[in-house]
Amino acid sequence: MDALFQALLGGLVLGLIYVAIAVGLTIIFGTLRLVNFAHGAFYAIGAYVGLVVAERIGLIAGLIAAPIAVAIFALILDRVVLRPFYEKDPTAQLLLTFGIALVVEESLRLIFGATTLQYPLPEFLKGSATLGPIQYPAYRLLFAGGVIVLLLLVWLFIERTNYGLIVRAGIRDRIMVQLLGGNIRRASSIVFAMGAAIAGLVGAAASPIYSVDPSTGFAFLVPSFVVVVVGGLGSFWGAVLGGLLIGELQSVTTLVYAPASQVIIYLCMALVLLFRPQGLLGESEVIRQS
Amino acid sequence: MTPATATSDAHPRPPRSVLSADVRFALVTALGLVLFPLLLHPIGGYAGLATQILIVSIATIGFNLLLGYAGMLSYGHAMFYGGGGYVAAILLVRLMPAHPNLWLAALGATVVTALLALAVGALTVRLYGIYFALLTLAFAQMVYFLIEQGKDWTNGDDGIQSIPNALVALGTWNIDLTTPLPAMNLGPFGNLADIKLWYVFAAVMLLIVLLFMRALNRSQFGEVLDAIRENEQRSVFVGFNASAYRLAAFTISGALTGFSGALRALYDGSIGVANAGIDRSGSFVIYAVVGGVQTLFGPVAGTAVIMFLENVLSAVTPAWRLIEGLIFVGVIVFLPRGLSTIFKQRQKNPYAVFKRSLALPTEEPDPLLKPTGEARPGGPTSIIETLKLGKSFGHFAANRDIDFRVDPGELRAVIGPNGAGKTTFFNLIAGTIAPTAGTIRYKGRDISRVSGTSRVHQGIAKAFQTANLYTDQTVRQNCRLAALASIQGAFAPQVFRRSTRLADVDALAERAMSRLELTGVEDVRAGDLSHGDKKRLDIAIALATQPQILLLDEPVAGMSKDEARKTEALIRNLSLEMTVLVIEHDMEMVMGLSDSITVLHQGTVLATGTPAEIQANPRVQEAYLGGHSEAELAH
Amino acid sequence: MSTPDTGAPAPAPAPVTQPRLRVDAINTYYGDSHVLRDVSLHIGAGETVALLGRNGVGKTTTLKSIVGWQKPRTGSVTLDGEELVGCDMMSIARKGISLVPEERRIFNNLTVAENLKIAQVTAQKPGWTLDHVFEKFPRLRERLTHKGDEISGGEKQMLAIARALLQDVKVLLLDEPTEGLAPLIVREVENVIREIKSAGITTLLVEQNLYSALAVADRCYIIDQGEIKFEGTPAQVRTDEDLRRRYLHV
Repeated sequence: MDALFQALLGGLVLGLIYVAIAVGLTIIFGTLRLVNFAHGAFYAIGAYVGLVVAERIGLIAGLIAAPIAVAIFALILDRVVLRPFYEKDPTAQLLLTFGIALVVEESLRLIFGATTLQYPLPEFLKGSATLGPIQYPAYRLLFAGGVIVLLLLVWLFIERTNYGLIVRAGIRDRIMVQLLGGNIRRASSIVFAMGAAIAGLVGAAASPIYSVDPSTGFAFLVPSFVVVVVGGLGSFWGAVLGGLLIGELQSVTTLVYAPASQVIIYLCMALVLLFRPQGLLGESEVIRQS
Repeated sequence: MTPATATSDAHPRPPRSVLSADVRFALVTALGLVLFPLLLHPIGGYAGLATQILIVSIATIGFNLLLGYAGMLSYGHAMFYGGGGYVAAILLVRLMPAHPNLWLAALGATVVTALLALAVGALTVRLYGIYFALLTLAFAQMVYFLIEQGKDWTNGDDGIQSIPNALVALGTWNIDLTTPLPAMNLGPFGNLADIKLWYVFAAVMLLIVLLFMRALNRSQFGEVLDAIRENEQRSVFVGFNASAYRLAAFTISGALTGFSGALRALYDGSIGVANAGIDRSGSFVIYAVVGGVQTLFGPVAGTAVIMFLENVLSAVTPAWRLIEGLIFVGVIVFLPRGLSTIFKQRQKNPYAVFKRSLALPTEEPDPLLKPTGEARPGGPTSIIETLKLGKSFGHFAANRDIDFRVDPGELRAVIGPNGAGKTTFFNLIAGTIAPTAGTIRYKGRDISRVSGTSRVHQGIAKAFQTANLYTDQTVRQNCRLAALASIQGAFAPQVFRRSTRLADVDALAERAMSRLELTGVEDVRAGDLSHGDKKRLDIAIALATQPQILLLDEPVAGMSKDEARKTEALIRNLSLEMTVLVIEHDMEMVMGLSDSITVLHQGTVLATGTPAEIQANPRVQEAYLGGHSEAELAH
Repeated sequence: MSTPDTGAPAPAPAPVTQPRLRVDAINTYYGDSHVLRDVSLHIGAGETVALLGRNGVGKTTTLKSIVGWQKPRTGSVTLDGEELVGCDMMSIARKGISLVPEERRIFNNLTVAENLKIAQVTAQKPGWTLDHVFEKFPRLRERLTHKGDEISGGEKQMLAIARALLQDVKVLLLDEPTEGLAPLIVREVENVIREIKSAGITTLLVEQNLYSALAVADRCYIIDQGEIKFEGTPAQVRTDEDLRRRYLHV
């Protein structure tokens, strides 16, 4: 029983990471119609920048530096490489962003080496909290709480701000937004940078929990794509639901039959794609467009 | 590297024996394969690399059949590569340890992976883009899991070692593939030794695969696959079963990749689980893209370049994978068709200018007319009929309660103000969309749930409102594709026969072109036609499917007056031979052309009658005038 | 200001004052097909001008060329003398040209209230107030919480026009506002257009529905096969049956 509770908490933490990456993927797809295979690279860059800055200055500084660095990287990428590909065939986008992910991974390997790194927690964060029957590391709970707050802020941005309104309108009809004088290009850039920054911030914050190596980007990207597909591409709540589902599924499977913990998520995705291709909360329209 | 011989086959050439071209191709390729290890050696390739490159090239060729020719990005081809390797290894080690038969092992692996591909493809080929990529990845991960966990058979993470790989039977001989070839002195580049007989074996296999792919690309199957990639909607509505073609391509692709995986396991004498892993799947993407999709030798070139980098450059610099990644991105951004295109001449058909139509008026019965034996106008049987037909999009009822009936041979115009639901109605009849209410009867049979593709084969053809063409192909090729579908059926996996052998396809296409007065532009790229010619080509494509009902959605919209009158005359001629339904706004044309008119308004039938009746109908006037009477206008 | 090219139908003599919107010999293409041929027209401040013609003759393309949706290859479009060709859609909209497109293009995933809000958010200068809009379109107030795809065609048209009026619009372009609407609703939309006219808003009205257009227009143009064939008054169109037969549907 305790073990199950432990596994569920672990699944929550893992699931929240997936949610954070998947939300970025999904809002970028929604506004730009870009299928971004390089999104995992944002997570990895964030983790490394966070790690380096945290070791030199401190954890908080790392958490600030990571999203900023990743957002700047994303904006450069957007301007220099991606823009001509927005109107192109999704397969061309997939190939290009796959290539960018490769380049980032190898650059990280050259700079930081192939070894696994983990940020050692400062003393004051090392404690654990009593949660009912079990002890659980305090930082993980803090992390989970932080990600939930972050997601809430993103949701508020999309649902409650004027920029969010332009973004949501742009998801449906980019032309009409421009006919009304809305700056869809700037809104798109902001969304792209924001999605990237979320991944970078979560990458930095998770580095004391999950160790980092150059292939971390891909390691988190693929399950996050699974999450997006299961939840429904383009749907915010789909990403949240899918992320928690996949995180818990993986965590509980690890407890029951560890070797199957990777394959279970693919099984889950295959079933969703075969029976409800638009995803659990997705709209069927998206499928046709992509 | 072998020269890109594939460039020469795109257009009809002066007649020369097909055999000699194939033999020439084989000889040149063979020469390239002989020279390949000699060129690889001086730049640092080790002895076995050449053999490995040739073997893996076969897998990349298989992968490229999907990406380049079918336009599908698989991210799970490691399941076939690794799967093929494991099947071959298990067959040899477990089932025939005493008398290892390499042929049987490779054949078994190919058959098993083909079946795997057929099963996976059946579930995946209906999806596109990221969904297809992820679903193939999902299946690959499941195969990986099975291999990793099936320890009794696969040894799990340890892999299978010591696979017997020496003897291959050829007739009564057992040839030892591990026999080294005689060493060669390359002067300043040292001695080329240690190349085994395996290289010759791999080269022969690759040559066979290349010959197969060359034949496939030029075959009827390759032609249709190209067409589906270029314009799937049009392909479905000339009558090709796109999913079946995709599935066939997926199966062939999987089998080739499995064959390659089997050869690699045999050559290495061992196989590990990484061969079925996600990185393996990714490597085929890189090889194919770098080499150049849509080319015959691209996959070989890409495999050679990247495998060379992996094995040779890795000894020189730790940045080799970064270099590989940058090459990959560079190719996509700057050379989207791959490195092979650098060597390729930009080709325009040099004969097009001189070609004139050879279509002669024939006394034979018009091949566009199918013998139907249907009743004539006024008879008891309608050719097409709808009952309470409706289509809602969410809250919006685009069509509702449409009762509609047309007699065979009639020319019926469907008119109505913008937004009245005319195009939706045509789409329902053609099967582009499914009705949400009511039924459609064609010659008395309910076809409401019949797919658009089968409706084409039953004789319902549609020309699109905005001309829907294969813009990169010539006018003739456009018409030939429709004729091919009509004559060969929705799915005809003819991977060797070229459609140019089918004389009736040409005849049908020629007839369709001449009926729409497209003579003189047969060899012009459809995308380069004038607006009016594009619209007429769209009708010609529909005509080449040998329809009994032709649906024309605004056939003269956007044409100049002269063109419109000319097209009107063509339509009148067609209507002598088949039933024609036409949506048109040009009232002059509608009144002069049609036997009868149906007026749609707000998604439903407002009136049906002869042109005179419709002109006199006050309700029609009102619908068109938006609620104003003539009297109101006059004041 | 440049004079139009020769070959175009003789343009009306330029008005004494500079027109608010001037389209001068534009040529627009879709790929290879030449859709607009030397189209010229002008609209004075406060005028309501109708552009008439059959389906597929270039009416919508003219509007798209004005707002930068479909860029003309040659020719010029000026607003109060300022050149618009070469500007993107957003900047043209921000200069005060507002297109209410044929398909209405309501954001179906947003509520009516949000559809109105976005027009206010993107406005450079505010136009009508919300209260003013609700006074003229009382039905929208009742539908505020409904999603864009839950309202009727007529309400969508009202909403689309309301979005434009919430901004400080110098020239309003209406593309077939009565299309696909029931006769009763058509009357309602016509009343709205009269309101707009009496509010002094410069309007270019594209219509297939001749009688709706003639009822409100000060002047009209007829376009056919991508060329302007006629410029004159609604009265001329009403009386000239031959003209109507030749270029319009009846």
